[in-house]
Amino acid sequence: MTALDVDLHVNGTEHRVTVEPRRALAVVLREDLGLTGTHLGCEHGVCGTCTVLVDGEPVRSCLVLAVQVRGRAIRTVEGLEAADGTPDPLQTAFSEHHALQCGFCTPGFLVLLRGALDEDPTVVEDDDRLDALLASNLCRCTGYEGIRAAARAVGTQRAREQ
Amino acid sequence: MRGDDRLTTGRGRYVADLRVAGCLEAAFVRSPVPHADLRGVDPTTAARMPGVALVLRADDLAGVGDVPTMFGAEDAPPWPPLARDRVRHEGEPVALVVADDRYRAEDAVATVALDLEPRPGRATPSAARQARDRGDEPLYPGHDDLALAKDFGPPVAEETWRRAHTVVDVKLRQQLLAPTSLEARAILVEPDGERLIVHCSHQFPHGLATGIAGAFGLDVGIVRVVVPDAGGAFGSKSPTYPEYLAVVAAARRLGRPVRWIEDRTEALTAASRGRGQDQRVRIAADADGRFLAIDLQVDADVGAHPLGAALPGQTGLAASEAYAVPEVHAAVRSWSTTTTPTFAYRGAGRPEAAYAVERAVDELAATLGADPVELRRRNLIRDFPYDTPTGRRYDSGDYAACLDRCVELLEPGRWRAEQARRRDEGGWPLGVGIACYVERSGGEPGILEEYGSVTADDGGFTARVGTSSTGQPHGTVFAALVADRLGVAAEDVVLVEGDTGEVPEGHGTFASRSAQMGGAALAEAADALIGTARERAAEVWAVAVDDVVWDKGTLRSGTSAMPAGELATETEPLRAEHRFTSPPAFPYGSYGAVVEVDPELGSVHLLRLVAVDDYGTVLDQTAVHGQTLGSIAQGLGQVLTESVVLDDEGAALLRDGLLDYLLPTAAEMPRDLRVDETAVPAPDNPLGAKGAGEAGCIGVPPAVVNAVADAIRSLPGADPTRLRMPLTPAVVWAALGGVG
Repeated sequence: MTALDVDLHVNGTEHRVTVEPRRALAVVLREDLGLTGTHLGCEHGVCGTCTVLVDGEPVRSCLVLAVQVRGRAIRTVEGLEAADGTPDPLQTAFSEHHALQCGFCTPGFLVLLRGALDEDPTVVEDDDRLDALLASNLCRCTGYEGIRAAARAVGTQRAREQ
Repeated sequence: MRGDDRLTTGRGRYVADLRVAGCLEAAFVRSPVPHADLRGVDPTTAARMPGVALVLRADDLAGVGDVPTMFGAEDAPPWPPLARDRVRHEGEPVALVVADDRYRAEDAVATVALDLEPRPGRATPSAARQARDRGDEPLYPGHDDLALAKDFGPPVAEETWRRAHTVVDVKLRQQLLAPTSLEARAILVEPDGERLIVHCSHQFPHGLATGIAGAFGLDVGIVRVVVPDAGGAFGSKSPTYPEYLAVVAAARRLGRPVRWIEDRTEALTAASRGRGQDQRVRIAADADGRFLAIDLQVDADVGAHPLGAALPGQTGLAASEAYAVPEVHAAVRSWSTTTTPTFAYRGAGRPEAAYAVERAVDELAATLGADPVELRRRNLIRDFPYDTPTGRRYDSGDYAACLDRCVELLEPGRWRAEQARRRDEGGWPLGVGIACYVERSGGEPGILEEYGSVTADDGGFTARVGTSSTGQPHGTVFAALVADRLGVAAEDVVLVEGDTGEVPEGHGTFASRSAQMGGAALAEAADALIGTARERAAEVWAVAVDDVVWDKGTLRSGTSAMPAGELATETEPLRAEHRFTSPPAFPYGSYGAVVEVDPELGSVHLLRLVAVDDYGTVLDQTAVHGQTLGSIAQGLGQVLTESVVLDDEGAALLRDGLLDYLLPTAAEMPRDLRVDETAVPAPDNPLGAKGAGEAGCIGVPPAVVNAVADAIRSLPGADPTRLRMPLTPAVVWAALGGVG
């Protein structure tokens, strides 16, 4: 299969990779760019472990080809911390609320929530909306209680700051 | 927890994240059918495909030994890592392709032609039994399809059934479940001269090293198994799987690193499953509702290889559950079926027992017109230790206090009033369910020991233990435990585990054994280190040992003082180890559920869920709470949504993967979830700790099914004994009297 040159804009950095058109974005992030924080849990778009932001919108990077996102802004879990290394409040809250055990699904949940909170910070304030959002992704360890609590805590913190 | 900062920033290192120069990718050619003669495997095209380095078939592994069973039958049939002559389950590995890229490896896999002559499958224990009764050729020539049969406790006397005031007789099914850790199986094998470094997402690294060494005739010392970050396991990642041996063979042959990262299709169709039992349970009671006898018959589908043929014995051993019953008998039969091997899944035999007994207790309560809580209370074991007729010695407990606390949180009186109101005034049927359980933690003879050591040096203290985290916060809990014993800061203690090159022996993490067995080993090792350090200091200072005190990591005697690390540097390394052994412990609990049922759609809505568990003395409340919640979610998965549905031949009907095999999401978790604990210390454990990790998987399913049974019992045409897990709308609708 003919490989193509693809320019990818990931976490504020430009990368040029030469990849076959069939290569999933997740695979290119992991194998070609070494950004292994994006995990593959099912490779058919159900578990959400591979969630990344494309122009701010959460997408399953196992279902998107790298060639489809040329020139778009991609943000992965490695890009959640501020430039000075300050953690995203979600990262701190996940740890504080024991929202992770094995940690395999964690990058997907963090990126999903970051995308959702940036679009509408009130999404975590309503139980139904929060559960509908979190039901996008699967966690097999925590029973979701810690993840709910972490998401709410970040929402509350944000409301207090405003 | 320690390590959270790595895992929340994408700096975790799971097997698939390891970067090893020149590493090749393995992909398997698997049987598309459950049962067939394998007449040929043609790899000609595959071998010529771009990027392909190697194709292996059974004939290429002639010198490799059989796959070891873990809790198998004594009469184990041969199990080559790649199927030879015959395939016996869907997804059975037939050939291995190694290429420079996963896509190319899969391209090549798709070209491998298999010549298969299908044979009839036997998907269930009853199909296996019928085939055997007919005298059909067994799955393995010369081996009985009844892989294992065992009785626990003396048979119940006929007289007891005759004399009883009431006997209930209930038939149940434990569906097959897919353990579904979000990281599926993963292994990376690096040959290093004669040595092998095996990175694997694994619960039992020392067992894997032994398994690999045994199959290849190697000294176990040259196989180093290292477990990096691991993305969950839930019982399924402790065997030496056939795929692992094939990957080792490929790496050795090529002299290059090779990895296999299992995909979800493989995990759902070819990896081991849990549960899988047909059950019949009978309980005899007198007119006062005292249990006279329990008889439990189990026919388990153990799959095409007896990897876990003995595991259903756990169900037999547990048949007394929480009750003082004079006669208890269990007969467990493990049948070979044309399905992937059934093995451990969180709870491993205990959820099956609790479900059988607790469902039958509720049917008994209904027959007697007794309150299910009161009936249980009347029969609970009160005095400890308690020897059950099936051969368990329950160590300790206050089962009644645990049930009382559960009832307090469940508030059945309030819900009963609402139930009555709805019956009078209309509204969805509402039900209250309760279930008690006793589980066994620590393991069985042979693994009821664990290794721990503590070393002091310049940098602080290093604790080594033979357990292996697959997501449990051992690094936090064990470091804190050792630090507490030593009187030092937790940051000064580093935990090393999951590395057979660093820890000389170990039995791994399963059977809820890590805190109980590993924790005790580390505590004793830490205490021993203090003794060793005092002796050393006494020698150096030429004083009596009694005159040396250990003061928060520093040795003191009179005006002399020296930190332990400095003492080690100036003399020789300071190290103490301990091999802890003890009988198992018996955690227990009471669960309660309130549900309402939409009679038109058959859907079940959970209004409240209560879990009260007794794990003995808890080492870390946050960690244990996390284990309770996670196991509750998996228990809800079993009772509400999860099932590996097979066709008649034994192939899984899961074509759309996780859209067919439904894991619980956040939306399935009850909003009104009340979790509490009682804490009766384990008498045989120096920490008082009992295992915590599997409780919710055991307590949730019977509590929820009992609640649904209670909701529908009084409806005209309804038959609660038709309820099956998972409680899909179709199942509930059928139990309500609809056509199903």
